Amino acid sequence: MTLSLDFTLNGRPCHAEAPAHWTLLDLLRDGLALHGTKFGCGEGVCGTCTVLLDDEPVRSCLVLAARVHGRVVLTVEGLDRDGEPDPLQSAFARAGAVQCGFCTPGMLLSVRALLAGNPAPNEAEVREALAGNLCRCTGYTKVIEAVLAMAAGR
Amino acid sequence: MRLRPFALAEPESVPEALEILAHLDGEARVIAGGTALVPTLRLGLVAPDRLVSLHRIRGLTEVHVKKGALELGAMTTLAALARHSAVSAGWPLLALAAGRVATPAIRSTATIGGNLCYAEAASDPAPALLCLDAQVRVADGVGERVVPIAEFFTGFYETAIAAGEILTGVRVPAPPDGARSGYVKFCPRSAEDKPLVGVAALFTLDASQRVETIRIGLAGVAPTPIRARSAEGALRGQSLTDGVAREAAEAAAAEAEPLSDIMGSAEYRREMIRVWVRRLLVALRDDRPIA
Repeated sequence: MTLSLDFTLNGRPCHAEAPAHWTLLDLLRDGLALHGTKFGCGEGVCGTCTVLLDDEPVRSCLVLAARVHGRVVLTVEGLDRDGEPDPLQSAFARAGAVQCGFCTPGMLLSVRALLAGNPAPNEAEVREALAGNLCRCTGYTKVIEAVLAMAAGR
Repeated sequence: MRLRPFALAEPESVPEALEILAHLDGEARVIAGGTALVPTLRLGLVAPDRLVSLHRIRGLTEVHVKKGALELGAMTTLAALARHSAVSAGWPLLALAAGRVATPAIRSTATIGGNLCYAEAASDPAPALLCLDAQVRVADGVGERVVPIAEFFTGFYETAIAAGEILTGVRVPAPPDGARSGYVKFCPRSAEDKPLVGVAALFTLDASQRVETIRIGLAGVAPTPIRARSAEGALRGQSLTDGVAREAAEAAAAEAEPLSDIMGSAEYRREMIRVWVRRLLVALRDDRPIA
């Protein structure tokens, strides 16, 4: 059984066909060759597959591909602006908030969703927003510093 | 790692969904947000031939207040519930509990109907809905029946929903005037976990400051979410002194039937019921944050 899906992906119209049992993560990585979004735990716990669906963070490993029809998806590949890194990506780089980088796409999108609704979060709010993004290099401190620096315009 | 293949139905109305469920060949599952079902599929614990997704049914995401009661469509996400102004204003206990589930990227997807149908004993919304005397709307091929939330959870991951039925919504009556309510979620390891013990309480005091209406809901302490009726009995008609709060907490610990699992032993859970029932009651009495 194949689904025919029309949606907006990273600001552009996208048409894709996918088997009914594919998740959004399967569609992104294997259907559309967008490998920035990672497969981690497959159970919605680790957060590395986080993307935005209609501006809200979702676990792409848990969302059926069928759910994107008619909606708006943003992945890490859609963050840069004309080839220049998004200010949030620059803030991560400046703060040294990246070690192995596997969790970074999910972190960036969780923070993106936070800042869209709350441009000047405090540390507790940043921690709450990132509670579902695990980093095995244990780089949380630098990530939080990056977000706070960006929010403060530094 | 892919899910095992299944066919997918995307009905656009409740009658259409019921019709599909009534004429199935093989095993089917209803899917709402999928945050519980998809991991279960991935682990191979269930292997349905077909999923029936409710996401295209308009109206199932509606939230409105009708005759003083809150009417929630089954597909209302926990994030939508937690940020809805009418819910926060009239049913703050429910908004609080919904906002404590897992993490933002789960709450954006998980639904109130899915949360109830999954029937996880360690649900955050369930004890709140138990305190609010919610009613669950269930559609079958004939019409709709309404199940009191206290009768909805029938066993370990089991509910009153029969094969071929769909949970379509939840009705939450207005809390009694002047009710104080709160929810405390105790997670010893990590904030995004399910609660080791979740305690919701709602009470009113009469003119002489004695407990009048009292409802306590517990999560994670028995095979299903439960009302702590012995604890309620220990409080009703009493002044809410520290001693009475302690007696109620003892009663709650005694009536719980905790299980041991990877998060904690039955003994530890029982001890944490004792601690958190007491602290919640005292904090609500004193109108201060829970220590």
